[in-house]
Amino acid sequence: MKDVLSIKGLSKSFGTQKVIDNLDLSVPEGTIFGFIGQNGAGKTTTMKMTLGLLEADGGEITVCGEAVRYGQTKNNHHIGYLPDVPEFYNYMKPLEYLALCGEIAGLSKSNTKDRSDELLSLVGLNGVKKRIGGFSRGMKQRLGIAQALLSRPKLLICDEPTSALDPVGRKEILDILQKIKGTTTVIFSTHILSDVERICDRVAVLHNGNIAISGTLSEIKTMHGKERLLLEFSQKSEVSQFKACEKIKPLLSQTEESGTEIILQGKDIVHIQRVVISVLAETGLCPSKMEIMESSLENLFLEVVM
Amino acid sequence: MRGFIAFSKKEITENIRNYRLLIMLAIFLIFGLMSPLLAKFTPQLMEALMPNLAEAFENPTALDSWTQFYKNVSSLGLSLTIILFSSCLSGEYAKGTLTIMLTKGLSRPAVVLSKFSAAAVILTVSYWLAFGVTYGYTAYLWPGASLPHVFLAAFALWTAGLLYLSILMLGCVLFRQAFTSILFLLVVTVIMGLVEQIEQTAGYSPVILVSKNIDLLSGTVTASYFTIPFIVSIFTSAALLIMSIVVFNKKQL
Repeated sequence: MKDVLSIKGLSKSFGTQKVIDNLDLSVPEGTIFGFIGQNGAGKTTTMKMTLGLLEADGGEITVCGEAVRYGQTKNNHHIGYLPDVPEFYNYMKPLEYLALCGEIAGLSKSNTKDRSDELLSLVGLNGVKKRIGGFSRGMKQRLGIAQALLSRPKLLICDEPTSALDPVGRKEILDILQKIKGTTTVIFSTHILSDVERICDRVAVLHNGNIAISGTLSEIKTMHGKERLLLEFSQKSEVSQFKACEKIKPLLSQTEESGTEIILQGKDIVHIQRVVISVLAETGLCPSKMEIMESSLENLFLEVVM
Repeated sequence: MRGFIAFSKKEITENIRNYRLLIMLAIFLIFGLMSPLLAKFTPQLMEALMPNLAEAFENPTALDSWTQFYKNVSSLGLSLTIILFSSCLSGEYAKGTLTIMLTKGLSRPAVVLSKFSAAAVILTVSYWLAFGVTYGYTAYLWPGASLPHVFLAAFALWTAGLLYLSILMLGCVLFRQAFTSILFLLVVTVIMGLVEQIEQTAGYSPVILVSKNIDLLSGTVTASYFTIPFIVSIFTSAALLIMSIVVFNKKQL
């Protein structure tokens, strides 16, 4: 698979604060790429540098094989960009705005018109005649997607498109992104992990200015995820009795305990299970519940950033 | 070029829909109408209000009409223009509306030039409208009055207006807030005034273009007195626009 976007050794500081530190990232064609990180991790900064809106201190960014240069917007025709809070000219109507975008991007009038109608119905804004000033946040977000897709870009960069929306708005945006998956590569930054699990094929977690983990969702889960075994007893005393066993002690290094519940973690879940079962058999303790907890993206994320 | 045309059209639409064009036309039309009328009826007004001072205002002439015009336009008219257009970039910075435009491939010089062109066109239309009205009215109220260099004097003020717009443009590019851009313009204006005060550089400053128009009409100064300030003004405007583009190219948005 060809890479639509590749970033090598990217660095950026604001004053003395190093936001991006020698970052490497590649996004293969045809994927929905989840770009995860805490607030302030540098997701927007990375995206803005990719668009040539911010100057990088060092490193190289190529989009569809062309190098990105700060201040130059030449190779932006490959990219559609949806800012985190897209702002438009309030006095315009959606079709007028798209016509302006089309004219700037160099599309023909008839092409812009057809494409605008098509996109406005994709995002559910067809027939909306009022000025953008009267739009809700969700409507602006949807118009943002329409403008970003206007010139059929190879790469769509969405900066936290769902963060400010209500559940209905979020679902709508995710559905739209899923719809365009076949034709456009999507980079999608967020800190809402359920959104990532819902639509992304590949993810990268940005932490301390660098990619902490990246890969396909299943790869990441198997490679980095720790499996967890939950045991629930009926009384607190049983938990302490269980913990007091010699065989269990080596497994207690990373446990979470709350009330009558105890969660054991480790790389080799089968081994943990064997030990636990033999201990239970020896002591005669009977848990009311025993469950293998699947590693979730949330646990992974917390593990990386904490 | 494509981006420039598209964005200029957007600028004109914006100025129509946020009533800037309407306000400019209305203000300048009022100045155009008011100047000759004020000159004509000041004596009557003075007689009614302050009879002992009325003698000084007797027999108004066409020159009084133009004095009113230059007084109104060069002070209030230009100030209002500056205030109206001082927010032309700050609004875009604050809302972030330019980001999408730039990611569509709009070049940064096109942004600066479109903003300037739209403001210049609107100022030009409003200004010459005011001039036309005053010219017609003055000719009607004082038939047969002939003054030298009527057009040249008007052309001088117009050139200075464009210079002020280009100073404002640089201010808008340098600073994020409209108020700071206006402050920047004030500082530059004061410097231009000082240049005129210094003996070695007297006669060079574009300030002459806004202050000596009446002297030109009354024959106190000759047309050649305006030549150097004209040239200085045009070159300064061009240089300021180039600087605005250079600064804007480097600006992080």
